[in-house]
Amino acid sequence: MKENVIEISHLTKSYGKARGVIDVSLNVQKGDIFGFLGPNGAGKSTTIRSMLGFLKINEGSIKILGYDSVKDHEKILREVGYMPSEAWFYDSMKVGDVIKYAADVRGLDCTEEARKLCERLKVDTKKKIKQLSLGNRKKVSIVCAMQHKPKLFIFDEPTGGLDPLMQKNFFALINEYVDQGATCLLSTHVLSEVDKYCKNAAIMREGRLTMLDTPHIDDETFLSFYEDSEET
Amino acid sequence: MKSVLKRELLLNIKSLLIWSLSVGILGLSCILLYSSMEGEMKEMADAFSNMGAFSDAFGMSTLSIATMKGYFATEIGAVHGLGSGMFAAIIAINIISKEEDGHTGEFIYSLPLSRSKVLTAKAICVAIMLVVFTAVCTACYLIGFNILGEEIPNDEFLTFMARQLLMNAEVAGICFALSSFAGKNRMGLGLGMALLFYAFDVMGRVIPDLKDYLFIGPYSYANAAEIFTGAEVESKAIILAVILLISGIAFAFWNYNRRDLAS
Repeated sequence: MKENVIEISHLTKSYGKARGVIDVSLNVQKGDIFGFLGPNGAGKSTTIRSMLGFLKINEGSIKILGYDSVKDHEKILREVGYMPSEAWFYDSMKVGDVIKYAADVRGLDCTEEARKLCERLKVDTKKKIKQLSLGNRKKVSIVCAMQHKPKLFIFDEPTGGLDPLMQKNFFALINEYVDQGATCLLSTHVLSEVDKYCKNAAIMREGRLTMLDTPHIDDETFLSFYEDSEET
Repeated sequence: MKSVLKRELLLNIKSLLIWSLSVGILGLSCILLYSSMEGEMKEMADAFSNMGAFSDAFGMSTLSIATMKGYFATEIGAVHGLGSGMFAAIIAINIISKEEDGHTGEFIYSLPLSRSKVLTAKAICVAIMLVVFTAVCTACYLIGFNILGEEIPNDEFLTFMARQLLMNAEVAGICFALSSFAGKNRMGLGLGMALLFYAFDVMGRVIPDLKDYLFIGPYSYANAAEIFTGAEVESKAIILAVILLISGIAFAFWNYNRRDLAS
């Protein structure tokens, strides 16, 4: 049996009186591309942000690559490539400087990998961040998340704003890294992405997680989660 | 951590240059104006020294603005005190909160650095900027004295600049703590606080009942007129400044490490 890269056990996180996630348990095995579905506000980002230490969890535990998410926060971030749903950087910086900055903070020379990624994703490193569209900022974010060849990728709605060709290139890159031993958690609203690329999947609704038997579900089943969510 | 410090310095260098050169050159211009006003200032000095509480508040009852020393203490002392206090407040109140306000928090905090390390880099950046700001202004004022060929007591001048630096650090420490709350741009609050501290000091010198509480404000031990007349500074003012500075920084670390980060 493959080792678990992500082990979330009975995670509960609330924002004061507002619900975040309730009693979420989830295991993701090494080499998986795990689809993480759910309507807006269902708790996908809360789960991801708890995993990365942005949020202080109320109950439960999270282990990433065997490390405790609270005690070994820095060790986890060293091995993770994260792409947030909204890719924001310092406006006054050039793209190349942002990519180098991310590598420098990690204490790594990622020049070659970054060059390869920029070529594949058609990233212009000479432009300033403030000149970029959302799609181009997302491409910079992908390079920052991938250039250090992490063991775990966490992507939060990565393809919004990317053109179809870039979406194809992006998933080709994920497959290449996963073939080399990486694992990927993919939070998305796009069922076709999960159907095409993911090996396992779960869906969140109203802060609770339901494991899916298969990532290849039909549209009606998928939308029923959204409809139920809107009705409640 | 070094990379974050370097990046913070680069991101803030424009602001540092604008503020330090503005305050420094304004002070230098005021110094250069002294020679053209020297003759007329004797009568003005007599008038200003007899304005009761107002004269006390601005130190004109103890120092004559007709002398370079008195002119510097009353005019440039006020310009530097206000300018440096506002600069310290602005840079410190934005340095932490800007990450959440500008949505860059998810980028910086997804890199393998603890929040404490990021905050340490930011605190060092603020400290370096305050020192450079003080050095640039000091150089401008010394250039002014040299151009006019005027002498100014070195000990008092350096004590004034050092106390102003401590005052800046205290204001920055308080604003650093405020910056650790949920990320919104609070530049207005920072500026307001610097002005409030200054106003408190002026009022404390004008209103007799407030004199006993003057030491609470950061401007109390950095008053140029008192320094240039050799008045003793209340040690409790300096001790309180150091306590507030350390407490502000410690609070920022504690608060920032315990709370959720906005996306």
